[in-house]
Amino acid sequence: MQTVAKLIDTTQCIGCKACEVACQEWNDQEFTLGTFNNSYQTMPDLAPNFWNLIKFNEAEQNGAQSWLMAKYQCMHCADAGCIKACPAPGAIIQRANGIVDFEHDACIGCGYCITGCPFDVPRLSSKTKKVYKCSLCSDRVAVGLEPACIKSCPTNCLSFGTRHDLKFLAEKRVSELKSDGFENAAIYDGPGVGGTNVLYVLKHGDKPEQYGLPKDPRIPWTVSLWKGPVKWLGNLVFFGGLFTALVHFLAIGPKEHKHED
Amino acid sequence: MKTEMARSRMERFSLAERVSHWLVAISFVYAGLSGTALWSKAMWWTAGVLGGGEMIRAWHPIAGVIFSLLLARLFWMWNRAMRLDAQDREWLKVGHKYAMHMEEGVPESGRFNAGQKSLFWLQSTSATLLFASGIVLWFPELMPRTLRLMAVLVHPIAALASLGGIIVHIYMSTLVVPGAFTAMTRGWVSPEWAKSHHPKWYRETSK
Repeated sequence: MQTVAKLIDTTQCIGCKACEVACQEWNDQEFTLGTFNNSYQTMPDLAPNFWNLIKFNEAEQNGAQSWLMAKYQCMHCADAGCIKACPAPGAIIQRANGIVDFEHDACIGCGYCITGCPFDVPRLSSKTKKVYKCSLCSDRVAVGLEPACIKSCPTNCLSFGTRHDLKFLAEKRVSELKSDGFENAAIYDGPGVGGTNVLYVLKHGDKPEQYGLPKDPRIPWTVSLWKGPVKWLGNLVFFGGLFTALVHFLAIGPKEHKHED
Repeated sequence: MKTEMARSRMERFSLAERVSHWLVAISFVYAGLSGTALWSKAMWWTAGVLGGGEMIRAWHPIAGVIFSLLLARLFWMWNRAMRLDAQDREWLKVGHKYAMHMEEGVPESGRFNAGQKSLFWLQSTSATLLFASGIVLWFPELMPRTLRLMAVLVHPIAALASLGGIIVHIYMSTLVVPGAFTAMTRGWVSPEWAKSHHPKWYRETSK
Protein backbone atom coordinates (compact mmCIF):
# COMPACT_ATOMS: atom_id res chain seq x y z
CA MET A 1 0.00 0.00 0.00
CA GLN A 2 1.21 3.48 -0.85
CA THR A 3 1.99 5.94 1.91
CA VAL A 4 -0.50 8.79 1.92
CA ALA A 5 0.46 12.34 2.74
CA LYS A 6 -0.73 15.88 3.06
CA LEU A 7 1.09 18.79 1.48
CA ILE A 8 0.83 22.25 3.02
CA ASP A 9 2.06 24.96 0.70
CA THR A 10 2.31 27.74 3.27
CA THR A 11 2.83 30.34 0.53
CA GLN A 12 -0.76 29.87 -0.56
CA CYS A 13 -2.46 29.91 2.83
CA ILE A 14 -4.75 32.91 3.25
CA GLY A 15 -5.65 32.17 6.85
CA CYS A 16 -9.35 31.61 6.13
CA LYS A 17 -9.56 28.81 8.75
CA ALA A 18 -11.94 26.78 6.62
CA CYS A 19 -9.79 23.73 7.40
CA GLU A 20 -10.22 24.36 11.13
CA VAL A 21 -13.98 24.42 10.79
CA ALA A 22 -14.03 21.36 8.54
CA CYS A 23 -11.89 19.46 11.04
CA GLN A 24 -14.20 20.41 13.92
CA GLU A 25 -17.28 19.46 11.91
CA TRP A 26 -16.10 16.14 10.56
CA ASN A 27 -14.64 15.00 13.86
CA ASP A 28 -17.73 16.22 15.70
CA GLN A 29 -15.88 18.40 18.19
CA GLU A 30 -17.61 20.79 20.49
CA PHE A 31 -16.03 24.20 20.23
CA THR A 32 -14.47 25.85 23.24
CA LEU A 33 -14.81 29.59 23.49
CA GLY A 34 -11.43 31.31 23.78
CA THR A 35 -10.40 34.84 24.64
CA PHE A 36 -9.01 37.47 22.32
CA ASN A 37 -5.29 37.89 22.82
CA ASN A 38 -4.13 40.26 20.12
CA SER A 39 -4.00 37.64 17.41
CA TYR A 40 -6.20 36.50 14.58
CA GLN A 41 -5.35 32.96 15.56
CA THR A 42 -8.43 30.96 16.59
CA MET A 43 -6.90 29.33 19.64
CA PRO A 44 -3.58 29.87 21.40
CA ASP A 45 -2.71 26.19 20.98
CA LEU A 46 -3.98 22.76 20.02
CA ALA A 47 -6.48 21.19 22.43
CA PRO A 48 -8.02 17.75 23.02
CA ASN A 49 -11.01 18.93 20.98
CA PHE A 50 -9.07 21.09 18.51
CA TRP A 51 -6.66 19.16 16.29
CA ASN A 52 -5.87 21.57 13.50
CA LEU A 53 -4.72 25.12 14.08
CA ILE A 54 -3.56 27.79 11.66
CA LYS A 55 -0.74 29.57 13.43
CA PHE A 56 -0.67 33.25 12.52
CA ASN A 57 3.07 33.62 13.00
CA GLU A 58 4.15 37.21 12.77
CA ALA A 59 7.48 38.06 11.16
CA GLU A 60 9.16 41.17 9.85
CA GLN A 61 10.28 41.26 6.26
CA ASN A 62 11.97 44.29 4.73
CA GLY A 63 10.68 46.43 7.55
CA ALA A 64 7.08 45.36 7.00
CA GLN A 65 4.97 43.10 9.17
CA SER A 66 3.98 39.85 7.55
CA TRP A 67 2.18 36.66 8.44
CA LEU A 68 3.86 33.31 8.04
CA MET A 69 0.76 31.20 8.34
CA ALA A 70 1.32 27.55 9.11
CA LYS A 71 -1.18 24.81 9.57
CA TYR A 72 -0.29 22.95 12.74
CA GLN A 73 -1.39 19.36 13.42
CA CYS A 74 -0.04 15.82 13.78
CA MET A 75 2.82 15.23 11.35
CA HIS A 76 2.29 11.45 11.02
CA CYS A 77 6.01 10.64 11.37
CA ALA A 78 7.43 7.44 9.91
CA ASP A 79 9.49 7.02 13.09
CA ALA A 80 6.84 8.24 15.51
CA GLY A 81 7.95 9.38 18.98
CA CYS A 82 4.43 8.88 20.36
CA ILE A 83 4.48 5.19 19.43
CA LYS A 84 7.92 4.77 20.92
CA ALA A 85 6.80 6.29 24.24
CA CYS A 86 3.36 4.63 24.48
CA PRO A 87 3.13 1.77 27.04
CA ALA A 88 -0.38 0.53 26.15
CA PRO A 89 -0.41 -2.11 23.40
CA GLY A 90 -2.60 -1.05 20.49
CA ALA A 91 -3.26 2.47 21.75
CA ILE A 92 -1.25 4.09 18.96
CA ILE A 93 -1.04 2.32 15.65
CA GLN A 94 0.71 3.08 12.41
CA ARG A 95 -1.54 2.08 9.56
CA ALA A 96 -0.21 0.51 6.36
CA ASN A 97 -0.82 3.82 4.59
CA GLY A 98 1.43 5.62 7.09
CA ILE A 99 -1.30 7.27 9.18
CA VAL A 100 -0.48 7.36 12.90
CA ASP A 101 -3.79 6.78 14.64
CA PHE A 102 -4.89 6.82 18.30
CA GLU A 103 -7.22 4.01 19.42
CA HIS A 104 -9.01 5.54 22.34
CA ASP A 105 -10.36 2.24 23.72
CA ALA A 106 -6.78 1.13 24.41
CA CYS A 107 -5.45 4.55 25.51
CA ILE A 108 -4.82 4.77 29.27
CA GLY A 109 -4.17 8.53 29.33
CA CYS A 110 -0.63 8.41 30.71
CA GLY A 111 0.44 11.21 28.37
CA TYR A 112 3.84 9.66 27.53
CA CYS A 113 3.05 10.27 23.83
CA ILE A 114 2.98 14.03 24.50
CA THR A 115 6.52 13.82 25.80
CA GLY A 116 7.66 11.51 22.99
CA CYS A 117 6.28 13.76 20.23
CA PRO A 118 8.98 16.02 18.71
CA PHE A 119 6.25 18.40 17.52
CA ASP A 120 4.34 18.62 20.82
CA VAL A 121 1.02 17.68 19.23
CA PRO A 122 -1.07 15.22 21.32
CA ARG A 123 -3.33 16.72 23.99
CA LEU A 124 -4.67 15.01 27.11
CA SER A 125 -8.32 15.57 27.95
CA SER A 126 -8.95 15.97 31.66
CA LYS A 127 -12.58 15.02 31.01
CA THR A 128 -12.12 11.67 29.27
CA LYS A 129 -8.54 10.98 30.47
CA LYS A 130 -7.53 10.09 26.92
CA VAL A 131 -5.15 11.73 24.47
CA TYR A 132 -6.30 13.22 21.16
CA LYS A 133 -4.78 14.45 17.94
CA CYS A 134 -5.35 14.64 14.17
CA SER A 135 -6.09 11.24 12.62
CA LEU A 136 -5.49 12.48 9.07
CA CYS A 137 -9.18 11.59 8.82
CA SER A 138 -8.24 7.90 8.66
CA ASP A 139 -11.97 7.09 8.57
CA ARG A 140 -12.40 9.17 5.39
CA VAL A 141 -9.16 7.99 3.80
CA ALA A 142 -10.18 4.36 4.40
CA VAL A 143 -13.16 4.83 2.07
CA GLY A 144 -11.27 6.79 -0.57
CA LEU A 145 -12.10 10.32 0.55
CA GLU A 146 -9.59 13.04 1.22
CA PRO A 147 -9.23 14.47 4.75
CA ALA A 148 -11.78 17.13 5.74
CA CYS A 149 -9.20 19.94 5.88
CA ILE A 150 -8.07 19.22 2.33
CA LYS A 151 -11.64 19.12 1.07
CA SER A 152 -12.38 22.56 2.50
CA CYS A 153 -9.29 24.44 1.34
CA PRO A 154 -10.27 27.18 -1.14
CA THR A 155 -6.71 27.83 -2.39
CA ASN A 156 -4.14 25.33 -3.56
CA CYS A 157 -2.51 25.38 -0.17
CA LEU A 158 -3.55 21.86 0.83
CA SER A 159 -3.19 18.75 -1.29
CA PHE A 160 -3.68 15.09 -0.50
CA GLY A 161 -2.22 12.07 -2.27
CA THR A 162 0.57 9.57 -2.11
CA ARG A 163 3.69 10.82 -0.41
CA HIS A 164 5.66 10.12 -3.57
CA ASP A 165 3.40 12.30 -5.75
CA LEU A 166 3.21 15.11 -3.22
CA LYS A 167 6.95 15.23 -2.80
CA PHE A 168 7.20 15.72 -6.56
CA LEU A 169 4.59 18.49 -6.42
CA ALA A 170 6.41 20.14 -3.52
CA GLU A 171 9.72 20.07 -5.35
CA LYS A 172 8.11 21.74 -8.33
CA ARG A 173 6.65 24.44 -6.11
CA VAL A 174 10.00 25.01 -4.38
CA SER A 175 11.76 25.53 -7.71
CA GLU A 176 9.02 28.01 -8.70
CA LEU A 177 9.59 29.93 -5.49
CA LYS A 178 13.33 29.89 -6.04
CA SER A 179 12.94 31.34 -9.50
CA ASP A 180 10.68 33.99 -7.94
CA GLY A 181 13.60 35.05 -5.77
CA PHE A 182 12.99 33.07 -2.60
CA GLU A 183 16.37 31.41 -2.55
CA ASN A 184 15.83 29.64 0.75
CA ALA A 185 12.53 28.06 -0.23
CA ALA A 186 12.52 24.42 0.84
CA ILE A 187 10.49 21.34 1.63
CA TYR A 188 10.06 20.61 5.34
CA ASP A 189 9.42 16.91 5.95
CA GLY A 190 11.39 15.90 9.04
CA PRO A 191 14.17 13.57 7.86
CA GLY A 192 15.22 13.20 11.52
CA VAL A 193 12.02 11.24 12.25
CA GLY A 194 12.26 9.10 9.13
CA GLY A 195 10.17 11.59 7.15
CA THR A 196 6.79 13.03 8.05
CA ASN A 197 3.64 12.32 6.09
CA VAL A 198 2.72 15.97 6.38
CA LEU A 199 4.95 17.97 4.04
CA TYR A 200 5.41 21.72 4.06
CA VAL A 201 6.61 24.10 1.40
CA LEU A 202 8.24 27.02 3.21
CA LYS A 203 9.29 30.29 1.60
CA HIS A 204 11.92 30.64 4.32
CA GLY A 205 12.98 27.02 4.48
CA ASP A 206 16.16 27.94 6.32
CA LYS A 207 14.16 29.23 9.28
CA PRO A 208 11.33 26.79 10.04
CA GLU A 209 11.24 28.18 13.61
CA GLN A 210 9.60 31.30 12.18
CA TYR A 211 6.67 29.07 11.26
CA GLY A 212 6.57 27.50 14.72
CA LEU A 213 8.18 24.32 13.42
CA PRO A 214 11.21 22.73 15.12
CA LYS A 215 14.46 23.19 13.18
CA ASP A 216 15.54 19.56 13.26
CA PRO A 217 12.73 17.41 14.67
CA ARG A 218 13.93 14.20 16.29
CA ILE A 219 12.60 11.85 18.94
CA PRO A 220 13.93 13.45 22.17
CA TRP A 221 17.15 11.73 23.27
CA THR A 222 15.86 11.10 26.79
CA VAL A 223 12.93 9.19 25.28
CA SER A 224 15.26 7.15 23.04
CA LEU A 225 17.50 6.38 26.01
CA TRP A 226 14.50 5.44 28.16
CA LYS A 227 13.10 3.07 25.55
CA GLY A 228 16.51 1.69 24.48
CA PRO A 229 19.58 1.29 26.70
CA VAL A 230 17.68 1.86 29.96
CA LYS A 231 15.48 -1.12 29.12
CA TRP A 232 18.57 -3.29 28.84
CA LEU A 233 19.82 -1.86 32.09
CA GLY A 234 16.50 -2.99 33.56
CA ASN A 235 16.93 -6.53 32.25
CA LEU A 236 20.44 -6.56 33.65
CA VAL A 237 19.31 -5.39 37.10
CA PHE A 238 16.38 -7.81 37.29
CA PHE A 239 17.80 -10.97 35.77
CA GLY A 240 21.34 -10.19 36.91
CA GLY A 241 20.06 -9.72 40.46
CA LEU A 242 18.11 -12.98 40.45
CA PHE A 243 20.99 -14.87 38.87
CA THR A 244 23.52 -13.54 41.38
CA ALA A 245 21.22 -14.45 44.26
CA LEU A 246 20.75 -17.96 42.88
CA VAL A 247 24.47 -18.55 42.42
CA HIS A 248 25.21 -17.11 45.85
CA PHE A 249 22.63 -19.38 47.43
CA LEU A 250 23.92 -22.48 45.70
CA ALA A 251 27.60 -21.70 46.24
CA ILE A 252 27.62 -20.11 49.66
CA GLY A 253 24.16 -20.51 51.12
CA PRO A 254 22.73 -19.22 54.38
CA LYS A 255 24.72 -17.69 57.17
CA GLU A 256 24.71 -19.65 60.40
CA HIS A 257 25.20 -17.83 63.63
CA LYS A 258 27.73 -19.05 66.16
CA HIS A 259 26.51 -21.32 68.93
CA GLU A 260 28.30 -20.83 72.16
CA ASP A 261 28.51 -24.21 73.70
CA MET B 1 15.10 -24.96 76.68
CA LYS B 2 12.33 -23.42 74.62
CA THR B 3 10.88 -21.47 77.51
CA GLU B 4 14.33 -20.27 78.44
CA MET B 5 14.73 -18.92 74.93
CA ALA B 6 11.36 -17.27 75.03
CA ARG B 7 12.29 -15.49 78.19
CA SER B 8 15.45 -14.14 76.65
CA ARG B 9 13.93 -12.75 73.48
CA MET B 10 15.28 -9.36 72.48
CA GLU B 11 13.06 -6.81 70.77
CA ARG B 12 14.53 -6.04 67.37
CA PHE B 13 11.74 -4.02 65.74
CA SER B 14 8.84 -2.30 67.49
CA LEU B 15 5.27 -2.80 66.33
CA ALA B 16 5.30 0.69 64.76
CA GLU B 17 8.45 -0.15 62.82
CA ARG B 18 7.05 -3.45 61.62
CA VAL B 19 3.72 -1.98 60.53
CA SER B 20 5.48 0.80 58.64
CA HIS B 21 7.91 -1.63 57.03
CA TRP B 22 5.18 -3.95 55.75
CA LEU B 23 2.97 -1.14 54.48
CA VAL B 24 5.99 0.18 52.59
CA ALA B 25 6.54 -3.33 51.25
CA ILE B 26 2.92 -3.74 50.09
CA SER B 27 2.79 -0.35 48.38
CA PHE B 28 6.19 -1.10 46.83
CA VAL B 29 4.92 -4.35 45.35
CA TYR B 30 1.81 -2.66 43.90
CA ALA B 31 3.74 0.33 42.54
CA GLY B 32 6.43 -2.01 41.25
CA LEU B 33 4.07 -4.37 39.43
CA SER B 34 1.96 -1.59 37.91
CA GLY B 35 5.19 0.28 37.13
CA THR B 36 6.64 -2.60 35.14
CA ALA B 37 3.46 -2.62 33.03
CA LEU B 38 3.96 1.07 32.25
CA TRP B 39 7.63 0.37 31.65
CA SER B 40 7.58 -2.45 29.14
CA LYS B 41 5.03 -3.98 26.79
CA ALA B 42 6.53 -7.37 27.69
CA MET B 43 5.25 -6.78 31.22
CA TRP B 44 1.83 -5.45 30.19
CA TRP B 45 0.17 -8.57 31.62
CA THR B 46 0.64 -7.16 35.11
CA ALA B 47 -1.79 -4.40 34.11
CA GLY B 48 -4.37 -7.10 33.42
CA VAL B 49 -3.76 -8.70 36.80
CA LEU B 50 -4.24 -5.34 38.50
CA GLY B 51 -7.49 -4.40 36.76
CA GLY B 52 -6.41 -2.97 33.41
CA GLY B 53 -4.43 -0.11 31.95
CA GLU B 54 -6.72 2.72 33.00
CA MET B 55 -6.80 1.31 36.53
CA ILE B 56 -3.03 1.26 36.93
CA ARG B 57 -2.74 4.69 35.31
CA ALA B 58 -5.02 6.01 38.03
CA TRP B 59 -3.61 4.02 40.98
CA HIS B 60 0.12 3.73 40.30
CA PRO B 61 0.75 7.38 41.24
CA ILE B 62 -1.48 7.15 44.30
CA ALA B 63 0.34 4.01 45.45
CA GLY B 64 3.56 5.91 44.84
CA VAL B 65 2.50 8.74 47.11
CA ILE B 66 1.41 6.29 49.83
CA PHE B 67 4.75 4.48 49.46
CA SER B 68 6.64 7.78 49.75
CA LEU B 69 4.76 8.92 52.84
CA LEU B 70 5.25 5.58 54.60
CA LEU B 71 8.90 5.51 53.66
CA ALA B 72 9.25 9.04 55.01
CA ARG B 73 7.92 7.65 58.30
CA LEU B 74 10.53 4.88 58.29
CA PHE B 75 13.15 7.50 57.44
CA TRP B 76 12.04 9.55 60.42
CA MET B 77 12.38 6.54 62.72
CA TRP B 78 15.66 5.16 61.39
CA ASN B 79 17.82 7.87 59.86
CA ARG B 80 19.87 8.44 63.03
CA ALA B 81 20.61 4.76 63.46
CA MET B 82 21.47 4.51 59.78
CA ARG B 83 24.32 7.00 59.68
CA LEU B 84 27.55 5.40 58.52
CA ASP B 85 30.51 5.68 60.89
CA ALA B 86 34.21 4.96 60.36
CA GLN B 87 33.75 1.28 61.16
CA ASP B 88 30.94 1.01 58.64
CA ARG B 89 33.18 2.40 55.96
CA GLU B 90 35.74 -0.28 56.85
CA TRP B 91 32.94 -2.85 56.64
CA LEU B 92 32.00 -1.71 53.14
CA LYS B 93 35.59 -2.19 51.98
CA VAL B 94 35.46 -5.85 53.01
CA GLY B 95 31.83 -6.38 52.01
CA HIS B 96 32.80 -9.36 49.86
CA LYS B 97 34.08 -11.12 52.99
CA TYR B 98 30.70 -10.57 54.63
CA ALA B 99 29.00 -12.02 51.55
CA MET B 100 31.26 -15.09 51.79
CA HIS B 101 30.40 -15.48 55.51
CA MET B 102 33.99 -14.84 56.58
CA GLU B 103 34.17 -13.18 59.93
CA GLU B 104 37.81 -12.31 60.19
CA GLY B 105 38.54 -8.70 59.30
CA VAL B 106 34.86 -7.71 59.13
CA PRO B 107 34.19 -4.97 61.71
CA GLU B 108 31.44 -5.64 64.25
CA SER B 109 28.08 -4.04 63.54
CA GLY B 110 25.68 -2.05 65.67
CA ARG B 111 21.90 -2.20 65.34
CA PHE B 112 22.27 -2.11 61.55
CA ASN B 113 25.27 -3.24 59.55
CA ALA B 114 26.79 -1.13 56.80
CA GLY B 115 24.98 -3.15 54.12
CA GLN B 116 21.60 -2.44 55.68
CA LYS B 117 22.56 1.20 56.07
CA SER B 118 23.55 1.41 52.41
CA LEU B 119 20.22 -0.09 51.43
CA PHE B 120 18.44 2.48 53.58
CA TRP B 121 20.19 5.39 51.86
CA LEU B 122 19.75 3.83 48.44
CA GLN B 123 16.00 3.47 49.03
CA SER B 124 15.67 6.96 50.52
CA THR B 125 17.47 8.55 47.59
CA SER B 126 15.66 6.59 44.91
CA ALA B 127 12.29 7.19 46.58
CA THR B 128 12.96 10.94 46.61
CA LEU B 129 13.80 10.85 42.90
CA LEU B 130 10.79 8.63 42.17
CA PHE B 131 8.49 10.97 44.05
CA ALA B 132 9.76 14.14 42.35
CA SER B 133 9.75 12.66 38.83
CA GLY B 134 6.51 10.83 39.53
CA ILE B 135 4.65 14.05 40.27
CA VAL B 136 5.85 15.38 36.90
CA LEU B 137 4.67 12.24 35.07
CA TRP B 138 1.35 12.21 36.93
CA PHE B 139 0.17 15.50 35.44
CA PRO B 140 1.83 15.77 32.02
CA GLU B 141 -0.61 18.45 30.84
CA LEU B 142 0.49 20.80 33.62
CA MET B 143 4.24 20.23 33.46
CA PRO B 144 6.83 22.00 31.30
CA ARG B 145 8.27 19.85 28.52
CA THR B 146 11.86 19.99 29.81
CA LEU B 147 10.80 18.58 33.17
CA ARG B 148 8.83 15.79 31.49
CA LEU B 149 11.79 14.90 29.28
CA MET B 150 13.95 14.56 32.38
CA ALA B 151 11.33 12.68 34.36
CA VAL B 152 10.90 9.89 31.79
CA LEU B 153 14.57 9.06 32.33
CA VAL B 154 14.92 9.72 36.07
CA HIS B 155 11.83 7.73 37.06
CA PRO B 156 12.81 4.35 35.56
CA ILE B 157 16.48 4.66 36.52
CA ALA B 158 15.56 5.43 40.14
CA ALA B 159 13.07 2.56 40.06
CA LEU B 160 15.77 0.19 38.81
CA ALA B 161 18.17 1.28 41.54
CA SER B 162 15.44 0.65 44.07
CA LEU B 163 14.55 -2.72 42.54
CA GLY B 164 18.18 -3.84 42.53
CA GLY B 165 18.48 -3.02 46.22
CA ILE B 166 15.22 -4.78 47.02
CA ILE B 167 16.23 -7.99 45.25
CA VAL B 168 19.31 -8.16 47.48
CA HIS B 169 17.24 -7.16 50.52
CA ILE B 170 14.57 -9.83 50.04
CA TYR B 171 17.14 -12.52 49.25
CA MET B 172 19.27 -11.70 52.30
CA SER B 173 16.40 -11.45 54.72
CA THR B 174 14.59 -14.61 53.66
CA LEU B 175 17.31 -17.01 52.52
CA VAL B 176 20.69 -15.87 53.79
CA VAL B 177 20.18 -14.73 57.35
CA PRO B 178 17.96 -17.14 59.31
CA GLY B 179 16.04 -15.21 61.96
CA ALA B 180 16.01 -11.92 60.03
CA PHE B 181 12.52 -12.50 58.63
CA THR B 182 11.05 -13.32 62.05
CA ALA B 183 12.72 -10.19 63.38
CA MET B 184 10.63 -8.10 60.99
CA THR B 185 7.40 -10.11 61.38
CA ARG B 186 7.28 -10.98 65.09
CA GLY B 187 9.73 -8.29 66.16
CA TRP B 188 12.20 -10.31 68.25
CA VAL B 189 15.50 -12.16 67.93
CA SER B 190 17.40 -14.50 70.20
CA PRO B 191 20.40 -13.18 72.16
CA GLU B 192 22.59 -15.61 70.22
CA TRP B 193 21.39 -14.14 66.97
CA ALA B 194 22.05 -10.62 68.20
CA LYS B 195 25.52 -11.54 69.47
CA SER B 196 26.39 -13.17 66.18
CA HIS B 197 25.03 -10.60 63.71
CA HIS B 198 24.99 -7.33 65.60
CA PRO B 199 27.45 -7.68 68.53
CA LYS B 200 27.74 -3.95 69.23
CA TRP B 201 23.98 -3.62 69.38
CA TYR B 202 23.82 -6.70 71.66
CA ARG B 203 26.28 -5.20 74.11
CA GLU B 204 24.56 -1.80 74.13
CA THR B 205 21.07 -3.22 74.70
CA SER B 206 22.02 -5.87 77.25
CA LYS B 207 24.00 -3.45 79.43
